[in-house]
Amino acid sequence: MNISLNWLKEFVSLSNISSEEIKDRLTAHTVEVEKIIKQKEQYQNIVVAEILEIKKHPQADKLQLVLVDAGEKENLKVVCGAFNISCGQLVPLAKIGAILPNGLEIKKAEIRGEESNGMLCAEDELGLGSNHDGIMILSSQAKKGELLADYLELNEVVLEIDNKSISNRPDLWSHYGIARELAILFNKKLDDYSTKEIKIKKDNKKEKTKLEVKIEVKNLCQKYLALKIENIKIEDSPKWLKNRLTSLGVKPINNIVDITNYIMFETGQPLHAFDGENIKKIIIKKATKNEKIMGLDEGEKKLEEDDLVISSDKETIAIAGVIGAKNSQINNTTSTIIIESANFDAVSVRKTAQRLNTRTDAAMRFEKGLDPNLCKIAINKAGEMIKKISPSANFNHEIIETGDFVEENKIITLDLDWADKLIGQKIDRKEIKKILESLGLKIEKNKNLKKNEDKSWAEEWDIKIPSWRTKDLSIKEDLIEEIIRIYGYDNIKSSSPKGEIIPPEKDKELELIKKIKKILALSYKMNEVYNYSFVSEEQLLKLNLDPKTYLQLLNPLSTQHTLLRQTMTTHLLSNVKTNQAKYNKIALFEIGNVFLNISGDLNKDETLLNNLPYQEKKIGLILAENTNEKFKNLKNIIFNAIEEISEGAELKFLPTESIIDWADQNEKCLLMLNDKEIGFLATISKEVLNKNGIKKEVSALEISLKSLLSALSNLETKQYQEIPKFPPINRDLAFVIDEKIFYNDIRQEIKDFNPLIKRVDLFDVYSGKNLEANKKSLAFHVIYQSGEKTLTNESVDKIEAELIKLLESKFNAQIRNF
Amino acid sequence: MKNKLLKIKEGILKKVKEIKNSDELQKIEEQYLGRKSEFNAILKNIKELSPEIKKEIGALANSIKEELINEINELKGKINVSTKKEFIDPSLPGERTEKGHLHPITVVQEEIEELFSSMGFKILDGPELESDYYNFTALNFSKHHPAREMQDTFFIDMKNEDGENDILMRTHTSPMQIRAMKKYGAPLKALIPGKCFRNEATDARHEHTFYHVEGIMIDKNINFSNLKGVLEMIGKKLYGPKTKLRMRPKHYPFVEPGSNGEYTCFLCQGKGCRVCKNSGWLEILGCGMIHPEVLRKGGIDPNEYSGFAFGLGLDRLVMLKYNINDVRLFNSGDLQFLNQF
Repeated sequence: MNISLNWLKEFVSLSNISSEEIKDRLTAHTVEVEKIIKQKEQYQNIVVAEILEIKKHPQADKLQLVLVDAGEKENLKVVCGAFNISCGQLVPLAKIGAILPNGLEIKKAEIRGEESNGMLCAEDELGLGSNHDGIMILSSQAKKGELLADYLELNEVVLEIDNKSISNRPDLWSHYGIARELAILFNKKLDDYSTKEIKIKKDNKKEKTKLEVKIEVKNLCQKYLALKIENIKIEDSPKWLKNRLTSLGVKPINNIVDITNYIMFETGQPLHAFDGENIKKIIIKKATKNEKIMGLDEGEKKLEEDDLVISSDKETIAIAGVIGAKNSQINNTTSTIIIESANFDAVSVRKTAQRLNTRTDAAMRFEKGLDPNLCKIAINKAGEMIKKISPSANFNHEIIETGDFVEENKIITLDLDWADKLIGQKIDRKEIKKILESLGLKIEKNKNLKKNEDKSWAEEWDIKIPSWRTKDLSIKEDLIEEIIRIYGYDNIKSSSPKGEIIPPEKDKELELIKKIKKILALSYKMNEVYNYSFVSEEQLLKLNLDPKTYLQLLNPLSTQHTLLRQTMTTHLLSNVKTNQAKYNKIALFEIGNVFLNISGDLNKDETLLNNLPYQEKKIGLILAENTNEKFKNLKNIIFNAIEEISEGAELKFLPTESIIDWADQNEKCLLMLNDKEIGFLATISKEVLNKNGIKKEVSALEISLKSLLSALSNLETKQYQEIPKFPPINRDLAFVIDEKIFYNDIRQEIKDFNPLIKRVDLFDVYSGKNLEANKKSLAFHVIYQSGEKTLTNESVDKIEAELIKLLESKFNAQIRNF
Repeated sequence: MKNKLLKIKEGILKKVKEIKNSDELQKIEEQYLGRKSEFNAILKNIKELSPEIKKEIGALANSIKEELINEINELKGKINVSTKKEFIDPSLPGERTEKGHLHPITVVQEEIEELFSSMGFKILDGPELESDYYNFTALNFSKHHPAREMQDTFFIDMKNEDGENDILMRTHTSPMQIRAMKKYGAPLKALIPGKCFRNEATDARHEHTFYHVEGIMIDKNINFSNLKGVLEMIGKKLYGPKTKLRMRPKHYPFVEPGSNGEYTCFLCQGKGCRVCKNSGWLEILGCGMIHPEVLRKGGIDPNEYSGFAFGLGLDRLVMLKYNINDVRLFNSGDLQFLNQF
């Protein structure tokens, strides 16, 4: 919202206060002022120029070559697309270097082979009106070379206020509202906003053409005022009025529309003016479904039955609080007008404006919840201004006022000792009183409750809230904000909270995440990535995943992000693609949420009847290399990382037949920790890699954090192992077996064979040359050790011989000799 | 005898100073400190002396021996190095080994977590997929608050019994205020970092997926002055001991009074520069006293307890810290970016 400084000065004296100071103080105490716009600076390099010569453009029928005199030594050649100009006229010229209000920067250019040294401007290009019919023609009083801003007296200083920071303060959507705050902040007097009732001479009253107003939906329109005025002459507004509006970035239209806009910016109350010629009756009612009306913005609006509209006895003439209809628009021939000043329901206006995507200045104000008392003030002001600006106007009708609005007597009780406690510092009672009263609040009762220990009185005040603040001041905490924001947040002393010192309980899952991240990044040289929680259908299809099972966004921003991910691998594979051209080896991990379309364990609301969809944290790893070792390499990473995380537990790899949609048929397994499944590891199939345009070999794994945590919590605390007193005997054992026999099974068999076998470590796997097809060779270090005596070679020989026999019979193993 | 010993010492030290190579050194060592040396001969005779003199001379002899050994050892070191023939360029670089990298947000988040953890704050995690109730209603957003509109919030295509879409991607970490209050009650100190979502088009400065940290402290007698105290401390920890805090009123439905928090720019110390857009200040926080209605929704009696809450954008913090100019890099998975942290 734009606020003009000169305008503010009509209500509060701000002489000798700089615009910067006003900006700073408003920002510190009330609303954020985003910037100060000096209107004159916006029109730099835009000057008055005289047209000397007009020629046809040799290359283009729709362009002309114009020679202008901008008061400089040399005349300037300009290419122009408008044909409303003639020699001798004075026009605005944007010279090279000028930046138009719409952001267009004027540069020296060649247009269809002809040099152009600037641009002749239309009214709308200068933000000075809506006219784009041709170049703005200036009166002969303008001087060649004079700054356009000087000629038009465009010298306003405007504060640009952040709309979001006043979304809870309907009273601040006006110059008077901002002036009220400034009066407090600079300790100045605020002038009353007084308007005179419109008085009609009895003998002038026309009963026959009297307007009728009927509110059908009383809860959505608590007040409706209408004023019919006749014999209006529609013309341009006077310069001062035009300038006020242009300074705010609002285009002047005509005297009546400009007056309604002016009053809205001044008081915050939107007004609407109808062409009243054919309107005998005004009805405030709900729209009929699928009704279509043409808005003043030339857009067709399709209404729903919940929309509130203004209707005449014949047709809909406005969408209440949002926009007027074309059928009752003020035009050059209008002579009877009806001014509407009403209070429409905030939510209703918001919904309609939102749905129609028509957020007009009026709608933006109504949707905040306006003070119904403003209606009367604004319509009186409209009468006053019309009398002045259009003296021919006949006021033959009284203002019609209807609606159920009853002023609320809103009282908040404030216990001042409690206030001190919440602020953390005692603010002088006189100071508090002054602040509240300057904001228009009234201290109605001052009850002395009881004497405090320090003999001061514990006070409790009943505070009456003024009508313009009932929307945002409801509870005593709201008053605390009023007191300390005016007092100054910066003037409140800071202090350390006092309380018990208790070591915080640690969230085990978060602690584990921290640990895993560090181990993966620091010990295993993996790179952490963050990805979106959303995936696309295309991404899933490329991984052979079924999008139908995925939770879907109702209102996605793009087709790239429509579904909630269920696996980490989707994005990690995309990450590989992003990086594959620049890196030989890509090792990534991400810890993040996945979301399933089933009910989870967190409740949705306090009824505890329903739960949120299931969501859990997963650890995803991906390894892309140019070799076929990636499966083994990724396995090694997770094997060692888990050992580090768990302080010694061994991760086991269990072959699986379960389907992983994107995985290779062979290279896949479940990750087992402490006999619990915690995730899986698999190589991405060639087919999927091709579909995704991945040129490397890739393996990926996923671990459920929850399962990992539970497996870890079931591990026994690590115990010290007595250092063996007797030496071990190491025997290497190598044999050839069918390649389909799993290492897991063989190892278990050896390990369980005899209690003297303390460790079984695989040290070689081989297949290929010198071996039969479908065979592999496994080689183990088998370590024998006793806690009671030194083992003899003979005793170990005996065990080994029996072990070999077993392996031969059970696995058809052929022992190899070294 | 005493003089004799000292004389020998002088003699040896003089010779030691003239030594040029290890052969000479070895000779000297044998000559003076070896088993057959002059020195040992004297020591052998000690036992014939009277007990008092024996003690004195013995101590002296031992100290001289020790001194000589040290001297010779030192010399050995010098001679060994200086006789080495090949030249090594000491300016050669260290060999770089492959490293892994944590995401910059992880790095900064952990710094903040550690700070608050040390002050007794629990670190908590909450669901990214939330309900309308926890994300809005319980936080005192009115039924028709603009934030609830579709252009601000991602809703899930899933209707409840009343035909409403009431499941959404959380737009802030604040829903965890309620969940934490319900779980732990008061007093409560908690820090909640996490991923948040807003339905807005992305560009260099806007992301629909971003990262927040939220802190709450609830106890008897927690006041606005305490909020200031804690925020000042955060500023000093983040940006150095001279950092100043500035608070400005700002409306959020779930706090009252509400405020934003700015710190003096860490780069220019408040003078004005590119980072702070010449204002001297960086807007980092949203904060305020927890609204009594929110405490009530969390099952805490606002007549007995009060509390403050603050939130800050992690992305912004990280961008400022490392001078990152495009927020989209965080979710890009681009190693050229990630490898820098």
